[in-house]
Parts: sequence; C-alpha cells; structure tokens
Amino acid sequence: MDIQLLFFAAVKDHFPDLKKIEVSEGDSIYHLRKILTHTNPGSESILKVSRFAVNQSIVGDDFILREGSIVAVLPPSSGG
Amino acid sequence: MSVLETYSHISSSPIFVSSQAPDIPEMGGFVLFSGIVRNLNEGKKVTHLEYEAYTPMADEMIRGILEDARKKWDLLHANCIHRVGKLEISEIAVIVETGSIHRAEAYESNRYIIDRVKHEVPIWKREFYLDGSSEWSKGCVHESH
Repeated sequence: MDIQLLFFAAVKDHFPDLKKIEVSEGDSIYHLRKILTHTNPGSESILKVSRFAVNQSIVGDDFILREGSIVAVLPPSSGG
Repeated sequence: MSVLETYSHISSSPIFVSSQAPDIPEMGGFVLFSGIVRNLNEGKKVTHLEYEAYTPMADEMIRGILEDARKKWDLLHANCIHRVGKLEISEIAVIVETGSIHRAEAYESNRYIIDRVKHEVPIWKREFYLDGSSEWSKGCVHESH
C-alpha cells in the first residue's frame, strides 16, 4: 500500500523527490524509518532525531500506517 | 472555488509591535517577547534567515500551547505569531504576548509559551552566512537564547 510523504528542512536534502512510498500492511513508523534509512543511508543521523506526524499529529514508533496516510518527517524544531 | 487558508499564528508578512497594549480593563501586567534575527550565530556572520513551517500543523500546535498556558495561569490575553519565509537582520521572527491581572503570571506564561514553541512546533530556521554558505539550524541546544 502507498503512503504519502512530506519532508521538511534538513530532511529535504536527503529525499527531494520522494513523495510516495510503498509499505506493507501492518508496517509502523519504525518500519518506515528503516525503509527510509535503507533508501538513503546518509539520512540515518537526521532520521534518528526526527519526529513523525501522521495526518498532522505526532505519533510514536509503534504507530501503524494505513493506505493513504500523510506522513510528515519533522527534524528537530528551531523556531523562535 | 478555492479559498486561501489563513493562519492566525503563522505569518509570511512582517510582524510589527505596537506600543499600545490590548484594551483589557482588568489587565495590570502585559509582557511582550520578540525574537529578533541577529547577525551572528556561533561565531559566524549571518546575512539573513529563512523560516520554513509545516504551516497547518504549526498553527494548530501554537493554538494548543496557548490553550495550555491559559489553563495553567489566569491570563486575560495570550497570543503568539511566528514568521515564515525570508527574514533580514533585525526583523522580528516571533512575538509572544501575555497579559494578566498581575505581572507574575504574564512573565511566567510568556516564557512557557516561547520555550514550547521553540522546542515543539514544526518550524525550522535556515541561516545564510556571509561566505555564501547556508545551514539548517540543528534545533534548540541553547536554552536561554
């Protein structure tokens, strides 16, 4: 099944064109992190410290993805 | 027909502060914090900044932080606006306004709001340096800045 991806700030440097990704039924954020790291090993350190949001809510590693989920990868904030 | 979404707490237009406090008769203390773009960071000369946000989520999260502050303190006024886009040196990046009957709540809640906004809200800063290079900020490592 496909999920949609949104990348921001420093994460965009690693996945500029990746807007969609295929994951398996039952895959969680933990699996997505693994898939993204595998896709681009250079992203490992930024992914480790990034939070993930699904449909605009922060979720943990055990959150199970669904078809069409909009997943935002959020590196550490630096507003203000 | 498409309607442009507007966000109360995220702005791509310059933020200006007024010397006029909100007109609330019960309010005895009003604190205004403004975060300003400075020309130096970690020894490197900064020429300008760019702020990027996951705007709908950032707007909603700031709204939530303001609600939390209102629950913790007896506030008569609380607001926060954060800029996005390109900002020049000395421009205002963020303001937090708090007002209460006495000053203590206004001070404490203001600090609480800006600290949470800086740490939690999906807004990112890219610094551009005099030598032509640029870098995304690594996040909040300097608590008191």
